[in-house]
Amino acid sequence: MEFIICILAGILFATGIYNILQKQMLRIILGTGLISHGAHLFILTMGKLKRGQPPILTEGVSRYTDPLPQALILTSIVISFGITSLILVLSFRTAKENQTDNMDQLRGTEHE
Amino acid sequence: MSNLAVLPIIIPLVAGIVLAFTHKKIKLSRGIAKCFSLLYLAAAGFLNWQVHQSGTLVLETGGWKAPYGIIMVADQLSALLIMTTAVIVAACVFAAASVVGERMEYHYFYAFFYFLITGVSGAFLTGDLFNLFVFFEVLLMASYALITVGAGKVQLREAMKYMLINLFSSVLFVTAISFLYAVVGTVNMAQIAERVQDVQQKGILTTIAVLLFFVFATKAALFPLYYWMPKSYAVPNPVVSAIFGALLTKVGIYSILRVFSLIFVYRTDLTHDAFLWIAGLSMIFGIAGALSTSNVKLIIAYNIIPAIGFILLGIGVFNQSSLSGSVYYLIHDMFIKTALFLIVGALAYAAGTSNLKKMGGLIHDYPVLGWLMFIAGFVLAGIPPFSGFIGKFMLLRGAFENGDFAIAIIGLLTSLLILYSVIRIFINGFWGEAKDYGERKSLKGYIGPISVLLACSVVLGVGAEWFMPALDSISNQLLDPEIYIKSVLKE
Amino acid sequence: MFYAIILPVLLAVLVPFLAKLKARIHTGILVLWAPLLIFIYFARKIGKQFQPSDQHISWIPSLGINLDFHLDGLSLLFVLLISGIGTLVVLYSIFYLSRSEQLGHFYVYLLMFMTAMLGVVLSDNVFVLYTFWELTSISSFLLIGYWHHNERSRYGALKSMLITVFGGLSMLGGLLMLTVLSGTASIQGMIAKADVILASPYMPLVLVFILLGAFTKSAQFPFHIWLPDAMEAPTPVSSYLHSATMVKAGIYLIARFSPVFSQYDWFVITVSVVGTITLCWGSYMAVRQTDLKTILAFSTISQLGMIMAMLGFGTKLAVFAAVFHILNHATFKGSLFMITGAVDHEAGTRDMRKLGGLVAFMPFTAALALFGTFAMAGIPLPFLNGFYSKELFFDSVIHLENSSNAILNTVVMLLPYAVVAGSIFTFVYSMYYFFGVFFGKNKTDALSKTPHEAPLGMLIAPFILVAGIILIGLFPNSVNGSLLEHAAAAVLGTAPSHNIDIHFWHNFSQAFIMTMIVAVAGTILAATRARWTDVYQLLPGRLSFNRVYDWLLERLQIVSRRVTHIYMTGSVRHYMLIILGATLLGTFLVMFTTGGVHIRFNDLAPVSLLEVIIVVMMVIAAVATLFAKNNLTAILILGVVGFGTAMLFVIYRAPDLALTQLVIETITVAIFLLTFYHLPKLRKREDTKREKTINLIISVGFGAMMTLVGIFSFSSESFAKISDYFIETSHSIGGGNNIVNVILVDMRGFDTLFEITVLGIAALAVFALIKFNRDKGAR
Repeated sequence: MEFIICILAGILFATGIYNILQKQMLRIILGTGLISHGAHLFILTMGKLKRGQPPILTEGVSRYTDPLPQALILTSIVISFGITSLILVLSFRTAKENQTDNMDQLRGTEHE
Repeated sequence: MSNLAVLPIIIPLVAGIVLAFTHKKIKLSRGIAKCFSLLYLAAAGFLNWQVHQSGTLVLETGGWKAPYGIIMVADQLSALLIMTTAVIVAACVFAAASVVGERMEYHYFYAFFYFLITGVSGAFLTGDLFNLFVFFEVLLMASYALITVGAGKVQLREAMKYMLINLFSSVLFVTAISFLYAVVGTVNMAQIAERVQDVQQKGILTTIAVLLFFVFATKAALFPLYYWMPKSYAVPNPVVSAIFGALLTKVGIYSILRVFSLIFVYRTDLTHDAFLWIAGLSMIFGIAGALSTSNVKLIIAYNIIPAIGFILLGIGVFNQSSLSGSVYYLIHDMFIKTALFLIVGALAYAAGTSNLKKMGGLIHDYPVLGWLMFIAGFVLAGIPPFSGFIGKFMLLRGAFENGDFAIAIIGLLTSLLILYSVIRIFINGFWGEAKDYGERKSLKGYIGPISVLLACSVVLGVGAEWFMPALDSISNQLLDPEIYIKSVLKE
Repeated sequence: MFYAIILPVLLAVLVPFLAKLKARIHTGILVLWAPLLIFIYFARKIGKQFQPSDQHISWIPSLGINLDFHLDGLSLLFVLLISGIGTLVVLYSIFYLSRSEQLGHFYVYLLMFMTAMLGVVLSDNVFVLYTFWELTSISSFLLIGYWHHNERSRYGALKSMLITVFGGLSMLGGLLMLTVLSGTASIQGMIAKADVILASPYMPLVLVFILLGAFTKSAQFPFHIWLPDAMEAPTPVSSYLHSATMVKAGIYLIARFSPVFSQYDWFVITVSVVGTITLCWGSYMAVRQTDLKTILAFSTISQLGMIMAMLGFGTKLAVFAAVFHILNHATFKGSLFMITGAVDHEAGTRDMRKLGGLVAFMPFTAALALFGTFAMAGIPLPFLNGFYSKELFFDSVIHLENSSNAILNTVVMLLPYAVVAGSIFTFVYSMYYFFGVFFGKNKTDALSKTPHEAPLGMLIAPFILVAGIILIGLFPNSVNGSLLEHAAAAVLGTAPSHNIDIHFWHNFSQAFIMTMIVAVAGTILAATRARWTDVYQLLPGRLSFNRVYDWLLERLQIVSRRVTHIYMTGSVRHYMLIILGATLLGTFLVMFTTGGVHIRFNDLAPVSLLEVIIVVMMVIAAVATLFAKNNLTAILILGVVGFGTAMLFVIYRAPDLALTQLVIETITVAIFLLTFYHLPKLRKREDTKREKTINLIISVGFGAMMTLVGIFSFSSESFAKISDYFIETSHSIGGGNNIVNVILVDMRGFDTLFEITVLGIAALAVFALIKFNRDKGAR
């Protein structure tokens, strides 16, 4: 039922955000992964769940699940993947250049 | 149906792809980039002319009827923004050759640049909310590329923060779209507007509107969400800073303007009044930021925030005078921020440092730059007869007409402080005793584009009368969603 | 008219080129004829039969901002001053400024200023007036900072700009309000609607705004502090802008708007009181100074206060006296500044302590100074114009009417005493100046050069002004009906009445007695000046407003810095917390106040055991990421969440999604592993208890908020979804059976195009990132 998935997605958001609020880069990016999953689940749920067959036209079937959210999620998965890849490489570079992966040490308020 | 509406998106896309292949040959890339910028300018001009003649142009991609397919909507507002973008693009591309540095140019700078423009154009022209999300991602991804490739320690660090915060707001954006879809069953903006009107924005719709506002406000660098912006705009090279400052935040405020004049206009007592508070706080905290630092690039970056505050003020007051003012101020700010970022970039280059405390007397060696800075400062601060004044005039008059005195007074005070923050640069950097800066550097690549941009600003101000009919027409359209809905849905 | 106004600025554009061409002629000569022409053009209009005239040029009619010009008695007076004194100043500068300076710039700024000032006094449209007003601020800034390598010049320029622009912006606010209230941007139009404006509840605010503009520009107390620092400018500038013209702009503003405000009691009270305080404070401060220009600066402040007070009184006599004094003050103050410049030029210093007995070396200069200072002091001699206007001033302060307002009555009672006190000090500093410089002990050994008489050329301009003093003194009624009456009429908003006669001798009126008191007391104080210096230094001492200004600027910087550093900590965690917190707060507030809460319990999907198991597994995995002890575990647990999502996709009838999710998840885990192999191992989380709590609250809160909004949105379904159309047309128009694919490729193909673009940019960026550094490494 939709509410359960909503709660699940909310938990994914919560844990994802908790991770984002951490100081280590790996955890932060893990967090972004989690919230992306949460977002995708939300999109799916908003299209109502399990109301018909998978959206592939077949003989004799008249009720299909909502295809639009699925298309939107696909687009979003691909985009998130692109971003995740880039942010992983960026974090690698940043950690190497600044010799730390602790975001707290990367405040950089010295150049005012 | 007119392909013209999608041309400003296709041109930069093609440009980006071509330039990705020619990146090894720098001189060729420069030439191609410049040609494409002129092509884009021509397309923008033609688009504007067509819209002026025949009204809003709509393109249904793939031939799929609205509201089922994705549509591009070139109404007067969008067309005007595309035109402004085109001028800025041309200025930046011509400046890039001398400013960016060959290593960056080699590493796909022009490709990323044009991909960013693709995203910006798309955001201005789209009539579909999810499509807006996709275009946001395009422009954000290109901006991530521009800010990370070739970056040093400091820039990488700021880039991490920039990416993270924008990533989060993107996820929030897509989730909010899905919530909206659950209620209204569509992602086409005109149809959403129609359906929201049908139920008079009841129930959870206002909450979703607020969520969307926070998403756009993060992108637009409004209070209290702008932390990612100042450092990340101040650190890259001047052309990147200029294009970021002129375009990226403006896409955010444009989205707010569009969404909160077309769709969510039925609880203005809540939403638009809140805007006034946020506008005022943005002005105050933004200008405090500009006054707090001696880094010339940061001063200009912080100045973005009060400017966005002013535009939001116009949206919050929501009458004809103030909306005209918002649109006018938006255009004015796009020009002047580009010019100012290039100016302080030139200044930092000439002085060898961004720290104002270490500068002085530069007017002896660089008089042209000094006077350009002087004029630009006054344009920004809203001194007549320049465009900054006309924009503020319209906004403040709208505010006074509406009885919103507090925000008007804050606006006036902020103008004074904006003047102070930039005239400091002139007094401490250009006046005074010259310090030792090594050999005199050539500012050739900077001066031309800066002058063109300032000239546009001046024309915008002194020749304001030419723009008034267009502005009136735009604000009328913004106040009446039916016009937009009808031109799209045609039923 | 318009051409007369813009002539100077057009010339200004040409000057730099002309200066280069004719390098041997002093640039001033090229410039001289412009103000002269303007003066002659307008001087022809003087006469008893003068009628106001208008000119209209469109600029931005849609906003009501047009170049409307209105020439009446008041503006004629000012225009003559601006162009007349302008001519004399340029003439003076030819001899004062040597050709070695960058004169091109100087005259450009000066001409800019001239246009701006002419525009201010001739504009009928308030926003065009504002435009010219700010242009005067800008040109003044450039002129004060002319010798910008000097730190005091920069300081003075900034100070004058900040204070006058502050006033200007406040004035803009007032003008905007006036426009909104009266429905017109024309001053004449507003005068016609005066009763509507006065009846508005916002009147006090409007008054404050407009008065701030006037007081800052005309250096009234407590905004006078910029004027002494403006003395850093070259002397011709001080003589022109900061005594005769720019500082009178505020007075012009008050005069111009008098027909609107004069009925308003608070206007009368505020302007009279502020003017009188300025009169007293300025003259008191002048006595304390040792620099000649600073004495004159404070004197100007004080004299402006006097004129301001007269405008505040608003009676026919007072207004007439005011316009008369505007004319007279320009003559004697202008000449005195020029004389000061001459002394500075020839003796090498402006410091009173080093000057004395110069009458022997500079007899002509001394003679001119005699007239100037005595006129300023208001000594009763028939050839000193200053006496007449001062006398009229005294006369007007005594003859103020009583009204119903108690405060006004009290003020009216006290004013004459204050006025006498201020005038006594005026007398003192005038005498101090004259006798201190030209008589007394000869201190020439302390000077860097031997003083000699100023060149004839430098003395021509002050001579003309002094001639003015004498002529107006001897024949006061010549300017009466032809000029002054019209000016006064414009201020009063009536027709010229021609019934005030200016005589030297009015018999022993109260005014004359006041004059005598001033003369006697003044002479005593001036003679014993040395003994009073200690008393003078007492006030204001620490309480000076200069300190306030400096303190304010400093505080501004400090507070800005502190405030900004509080939240711009550089920590992305802080930033996220504020963003999350704000969003959370805003959303919750709106949700519960707009009736967003709505749950429906019908039409929900059925639950199966498999789902529940997967959901639980995912929850455990998600929470487990928080406790993972090393990189590998954390990444794999994330993978579990991802695969769980894929399984949910399968259950929820989204096969394509499931496939894509599986593929992407695999690749993502692989990239995670690749990246983090090279990075430091996961450490135990080192957050403080407080940090943990905040994190917990925010994350749980946000998650809850998302869930709630999701549930409520889902329950508020109000319309049919458009996806029905996609289902129907997938095969017929789209040509495919997999609806999701058809949507992606056809109906929403545009989205897909750009999704791929995003991926492409990402790939390119990653490639460029790696390549850039490899190339860097290779060098």
